Amino acid sequence: MAISAATKAATDALAVNRAPTSVNAQEVHRWLQSFTWDFDKNRTKYPTKYKMANDTKEQFKLIAKEYARMESVKDERQFGSLQDVLTRVDAANKVHPKWNETMKVISNFLEVGEYNAIAATGMLWDSASAPEQKNGYLAQTLDEIRHTNQCGYVNYYFTKHGQDAAGHNDARRTRTIGPLWKGMKRVFSDGFISGDAVECSINLQLVGEACFTNPLIVAVTEWAAANGDEITPTVFLSIETDELRHMANGYQTIVSIANDEAASKYLNTDLNNAFWTQQKYFTPVLGMMFEYGSHFKVEPWVKTWNRWVYEDWGGIWIGRLGKYGVESPRSLRDAKVDAYWAHHDLFLLAYALWPTGFFRLTLPTAEEADWFEENYPGWHEHYGKIYEEWRARGCEDPNSGFIPLMWFIENNHPIYIDRVSQVPFCPSLCKGASTLRVHEYNGKKNTFSDDWGERMWLAEPERYECQNMFEQYAGRELSEVIAELQGVRSDGKTLIAQPHTNKDGKMWTLDDIKALDCVFSDPVDAL
Amino acid sequence: MSNNANSYGAGIMAKTGKEFADEYFAEENQVVHESHEVVLVLKKSDEINIIVEEILLGDRKDENPTLVVEDRAGYWWLKATGKIEIDCEDAAEVLGKDYNVYDLLVDVSSTIGRAFTLGETFTITSELMGLDRKLEDLEA
Repeated sequence: MAISAATKAATDALAVNRAPTSVNAQEVHRWLQSFTWDFDKNRTKYPTKYKMANDTKEQFKLIAKEYARMESVKDERQFGSLQDVLTRVDAANKVHPKWNETMKVISNFLEVGEYNAIAATGMLWDSASAPEQKNGYLAQTLDEIRHTNQCGYVNYYFTKHGQDAAGHNDARRTRTIGPLWKGMKRVFSDGFISGDAVECSINLQLVGEACFTNPLIVAVTEWAAANGDEITPTVFLSIETDELRHMANGYQTIVSIANDEAASKYLNTDLNNAFWTQQKYFTPVLGMMFEYGSHFKVEPWVKTWNRWVYEDWGGIWIGRLGKYGVESPRSLRDAKVDAYWAHHDLFLLAYALWPTGFFRLTLPTAEEADWFEENYPGWHEHYGKIYEEWRARGCEDPNSGFIPLMWFIENNHPIYIDRVSQVPFCPSLCKGASTLRVHEYNGKKNTFSDDWGERMWLAEPERYECQNMFEQYAGRELSEVIAELQGVRSDGKTLIAQPHTNKDGKMWTLDDIKALDCVFSDPVDAL
Repeated sequence: MSNNANSYGAGIMAKTGKEFADEYFAEENQVVHESHEVVLVLKKSDEINIIVEEILLGDRKDENPTLVVEDRAGYWWLKATGKIEIDCEDAAEVLGKDYNVYDLLVDVSSTIGRAFTLGETFTITSELMGLDRKLEDLEA
């Protein structure tokens, strides 16, 4: 019987390229390369302005069998620890209550990033033409599925075994109320999957993963351990064991375009935009989570940022690429100001808007205030005094009838949302690199907080049309919005969000919020 | 804790308060500076603890005097100038069991620098692999 052309081609190839007789994985990898699949003329649904080279390598020489074995060992160790020793020693109940709240946000939001990275790396698999590069992206797609499940599992584990389940268990339906959600979607979703494929790789792999996963997934484990949380290090350090391959994928994306003329035209702008996009959210949010969401401090956030972002990512990744024309991001100066101050600015606003959260926040104690002043000279004069005033007005107690948002209104400190990053800012109070600027477009006023986002918007205004929370809820009463978006505990009236973690403190209810008669308005109307 | 320039708390990290802020905001520190260091994060496990103690800080310590290893709760933080290499054939001998480079990757949590495998060796280097030097495949 005649054999098909495909079968004959495969038979001929095997005759020339004998299958390895051993099971050494790297021999198998070398053998697979000898097939030289040609994707050079591959059509993609996700084009890029760059030409990706056809001979780009994957640095770890992965084959499916070793990949599956590695990942199953990782899962076995992780779930083994969680289900055996950590459950037996009641680890989830030994976590400091403030940190328990922090993990409601970190694990849930990281889950969204991992979920979007599945699509991002699937897109990159389709865009690349080098077989090894495709192999690296494909393994990453599988990794991201694993990570999505792992992040979901952290919240599930805290719900099942830990304290104050509300927020861990139902974040998916309540997380969209407050001001942190849409900024997270900008970095973790839009930044990873919208636009030019290589730009998405720069956002996801070269900046998001090579730079910010180190504080977000590695350094966070030190803060967790210091605050009694042994669950997060077990899971997050396992997640990070895949991230090194993702960082390598991002680097190889740059290698694949290094000799393309388009790189000299676009790469530095794309890198600067990606760096600013990612830092604009991660810098204040991570700093706030670490410093204000912990009782025991590891080190000032600005030092963590200086080590992982400036010295290591900046010097070892970006600095080394200087001779290939890659420049220091032009927005670095402003990013450094943000790393020092922006998380303090953000906590001020997050605490003022606490009823819109899905977690409990706590004002710094006197001991913590001393720590802040020691590490950020000038902190007390600018921020500490405000917290003292809020505390004196009874902001933690529902009988006070006071939420700090009222203080902003009374003192004429309007809060705006940056159109590009969706990060809130208060120009009259912030010490980070934010100043108010306004553009009108299609009859709508848009507010911005910095040069870099403003420039991105001016180039593509149609890309940043997401409604911010003030536009979305304008004219609506606060308790009504919270009830509609399921921001209550299982009794149907007590808020998930609270302005304290004191187990003896009184909890705020929908009725307490309703009594404030707080109606959303869009501050741009007054401009 | 080491006094090596590569240690976790070296340089500006040893400063606090205003002294830290002055250096952090100094004009010369508003752009990135090229660095020839590499950083490796190893998740603690039975195997990794032995590799760190018996090989990197044991038999092979003299080969890389710039290497610093610090205990950061759930992980070991390593920094060195130039490169860090781990030979998994050495590791298998010390561990007394089969242990290949993919077994090592189970516990390698983060890399800053260019990391790659070749045969049973894991390397992280400050070299720009694929640009300055080609990535090699295992020889036939």
